Amino acid sequence: MGLRQLTFHIFRYNPEIPNVNPAIKDYILQEEMGMTLFIALNKIREEQDSSLKYDFVCRAGICGSCGMLINGKPTLACRTLTKDLPADISLIPLPVFKLLGDLSVDTGTWFRDISLRTESWVHTEKDFDPHSPEDRMSNDTALKIYEAERCIECGCCISGCATANIKPDFIGAAGVNRVARFMVDPRDERDEQEYFDVVGSEDGIFGCVGLMACADTCPIGIPLQGQLAYVRRKMAIAGWRR
Amino acid sequence: MQPQKALTRNTKADFVMELVQTVSGLLLVGFLWTHMLFVGSILLGVEAFDALAQFMEQYRLLDVAVVFIILTVAAHIGAVFRRIPGRLQEQKIVWKHARTIKHSDTWSWLFQAVTGSAMLVLIIIHVFTVVYAGIDSKMSADRVNSWMLWFYLVFLLLAEYHASVGIYRALIKWGFLKRHSLKRVLSVVTVCTIALGCVSLWIFYWLGDTA
Repeated sequence: MGLRQLTFHIFRYNPEIPNVNPAIKDYILQEEMGMTLFIALNKIREEQDSSLKYDFVCRAGICGSCGMLINGKPTLACRTLTKDLPADISLIPLPVFKLLGDLSVDTGTWFRDISLRTESWVHTEKDFDPHSPEDRMSNDTALKIYEAERCIECGCCISGCATANIKPDFIGAAGVNRVARFMVDPRDERDEQEYFDVVGSEDGIFGCVGLMACADTCPIGIPLQGQLAYVRRKMAIAGWRR
Repeated sequence: MQPQKALTRNTKADFVMELVQTVSGLLLVGFLWTHMLFVGSILLGVEAFDALAQFMEQYRLLDVAVVFIILTVAAHIGAVFRRIPGRLQEQKIVWKHARTIKHSDTWSWLFQAVTGSAMLVLIIIHVFTVVYAGIDSKMSADRVNSWMLWFYLVFLLLAEYHASVGIYRALIKWGFLKRHSLKRVLSVVTVCTIALGCVSLWIFYWLGDTA
């Protein structure tokens, strides 16, 4: 495939300069071999517009900072190759999160809030003894925990979720997945009713309408439909017994 | 948590609403599909249709069905109403969102809300007609062979679409089935029920013509 001339339509807005309205600005760039959006955005900033704001840290799909709507789809810019996109590329910051400027959003505050609200730590009464061997865990359980913990907190599942877009308190797939991780963990001593207090509401699992945009957009492929259904079934049983 | 949320905290209510929504929805899908099969008895002839209708009236099954549909639809509306984005700003956000992310299951949810709202009116008209006039192939034929044909066609399409999307969402939310295969099965079932409904309507239209 020949290298094309790409046109980027990029959302520009600085909340600190409120008298300048949000606008889509166009940038033209010559495509290169193996070009990712990370490379493309850096080139635009270096050569065309030094005021363009966006986030990248690891450029390898691990840090979760570069989530954005690429031609409408929430995904990681660093893992997106321009050759997989049409010559017209629209870039919009992730909705739901606080806009810092242009393509840069603050996912950290949101995820910190979710961690606190879902109480994302192992609840145990046991005293930690650094000298005793750890309790054994089955490999199957460990793998289930690991699967949920692969979440890089990029926020794509939240931005893709229509419910999260209109309900600011909804914890979304990332939040539910986090709870699922602790439900599986035998070290966490919370019973089902304690979990129900955390996610058994409209802001938790029962706020999910089942659009599954989260499962379809998760850039690292966490099986979110299964995680949501697992927590839903557990919380239905807890709710029934309540 | 804000004080007003702490003061009105009743997390069990959210679960109960979800349960009512899912159970009433599944019951309505079951009702709809049974209903379409019963209407389809016209394919076996006028006698079969009238015999079934008579049987239902004789054993008061029709009354049971009417009471059932009114209660279940009311419960369903009560439960799903909280899902519909009520404020103008929310409406603007969800439509813009669906256009932006171009995700088919998000679009189908919006259509689900639209078809559901439209059906509220259609169901009321339909139930009133049946309750006041009863069921009889001659009357059905006369009704279908009039402007009411459009009412039934639209109603058929909306109901089957809404039921299909609804049962799909209920099943994937609870995680019982794989999405892709479920979608295929439901598409086939929906096309078949719509076809059955259309053939039934065509027969009634033709009966109305010859009468």
